[in-house]
Amino acid sequence: MPGETIKSMVPITFLYRNRVGQALETYIDGLKDKKILGIKCPACDKVYVPPRTVCGCCHKKLDTYVEVEQQGTLENFTVAHVTIEGGEIKDAEPYVIGMIKLKGADSLLSAVVKGVAVDKVKTGIRVKAVWKEETQGSYSDLAYFEPA
Amino acid sequence: MGKRVAIVGYKQTKHSFDNLVSRERMVYELVKSLYSDIGITKDAIDTFILASNDFTDGRTISEVYIVPRIGAYMKDESKVESDGLNAALYAYMRIQSGLYDTALAIGFSMSGSEFRAPMINSYVMDPAYERPRGLINFHSIAALQARVYMEKYGFKERDLAKLTVKDLKNANNNPYAARREQKPTVDSVLGSRPLYAPLHEAHVSAYADGAAAVVLASEEAAKRITDKPLWITGVGHSMDTYYLGDRDLLRMDSLRSAGEQAYRMAGIKSPKREIDLAELHTNFASEEPVFAEALGLFKEGSGKEVVANGDSNVDGKMPVNPSGGPLGANPINAAGLIRLVDVCAQLNGEAGKNQVKGAKTGLAHGQDGPGAQQNVVFIVRREK
Ligand SMILES: [Zn+2]
Repeated sequence: MPGETIKSMVPITFLYRNRVGQALETYIDGLKDKKILGIKCPACDKVYVPPRTVCGCCHKKLDTYVEVEQQGTLENFTVAHVTIEGGEIKDAEPYVIGMIKLKGADSLLSAVVKGVAVDKVKTGIRVKAVWKEETQGSYSDLAYFEPA
Repeated sequence: MGKRVAIVGYKQTKHSFDNLVSRERMVYELVKSLYSDIGITKDAIDTFILASNDFTDGRTISEVYIVPRIGAYMKDESKVESDGLNAALYAYMRIQSGLYDTALAIGFSMSGSEFRAPMINSYVMDPAYERPRGLINFHSIAALQARVYMEKYGFKERDLAKLTVKDLKNANNNPYAARREQKPTVDSVLGSRPLYAPLHEAHVSAYADGAAAVVLASEEAAKRITDKPLWITGVGHSMDTYYLGDRDLLRMDSLRSAGEQAYRMAGIKSPKREIDLAELHTNFASEEPVFAEALGLFKEGSGKEVVANGDSNVDGKMPVNPSGGPLGANPINAAGLIRLVDVCAQLNGEAGKNQVKGAKTGLAHGQDGPGAQQNVVFIVRREK
């Protein structure tokens, strides 16, 4: 019967851009000055990094930016063997994605961790931020973390 | 306590990586055959709830193309941009409202043939922060969660592989599953492509084309339609924060809360004793012990024992994903609703080689968002 199965497909593409909010803009401006900024909730005292404008837990508007330290502890990690871009999973040289608790912050920051062998990395190690030499006001200014 | 709401019909497609038909036709054929199975036409349905997503459908207000296919022409219809178990929850609430007696809930997508599932998953991530940085995605979050669980409870890679083999074998016995792995073994799982350690390709669910649908009814309407209704005795729903760095990946607070709500409503004091099987919406095999424990189905941190004793096998103490779960087929938007359909089939003794003997009370779980940010739990019970 004609049309029992269909083989024809037509492509669809989308193109978007997204304006960041006030908190992330402030965070990005901080990166340009080689500072890591968080934001403090007046109700629960938690410091969120990167900053966001509302504490979901307390339903409070946040506007007190605080600088947190550039050193912290590796709380969790995965050794990545791939990258995912546009939904495509591509093999990569193994690298470490860490979840880092910076001193002065209550939330974890995700970042690439270098300077430690992928089979030697473990939770609890002290790490510090490494900056791009020339910062330009972008997420990649904070290049990666390495053992402190 | 609200009204009693029953499931009077349920059906899923034979899922596949490319089902070679359009989404609209897949949905039409599923719904038509469901109506015919239970002896109704579209006229018997008061309200229609779809679970789909403009991103998975590639168009906005995407349900307009589906409305005529499900029989919602000139009727009350709405859409949830989330997993299909949310559609069932929404339908359940509409019947509870007293404004409707019957509802169709349906979830569907072409996650095998029309797009790369990790791309859709990446669209869920915060567009202003995580997405442009490219580190944190569904896969890497699952890996972070798996690693914490494994480190804390001494759950080894071989334990995880053994659990994965259990699911893959169940999927091989499930005629609706898309994935068929020839003789899955611990070594074949561990030998598959490494993604984000400890996760390999074999641990990842089978993103596929597929759909599932259920018909819900008030007690009075249920009596008119069927002589063997399945009763929804408890539901629960909770949403965690979107920011990964604030979440406890082990505790799974939102799932815990959804489970507690559902148990309270169903009057379940001991889920371990009172639930006969669970179908969990796991996007990755590693989520299974974490979810099952957050739901109180096993003791916290007991994954190693559970795997060693086969407690979660079809013939175990607490069968988990006897269908193979999403490792066998994971059509985005449908996966949680498929869990409900599989639970219903179990309660009616229709699960074939994967049948759990004497199953009377089942738990179905649906989730959405990275690392199961949002969770829905249904408790379903057969009367006799
Ligand atoms: Zn707060």
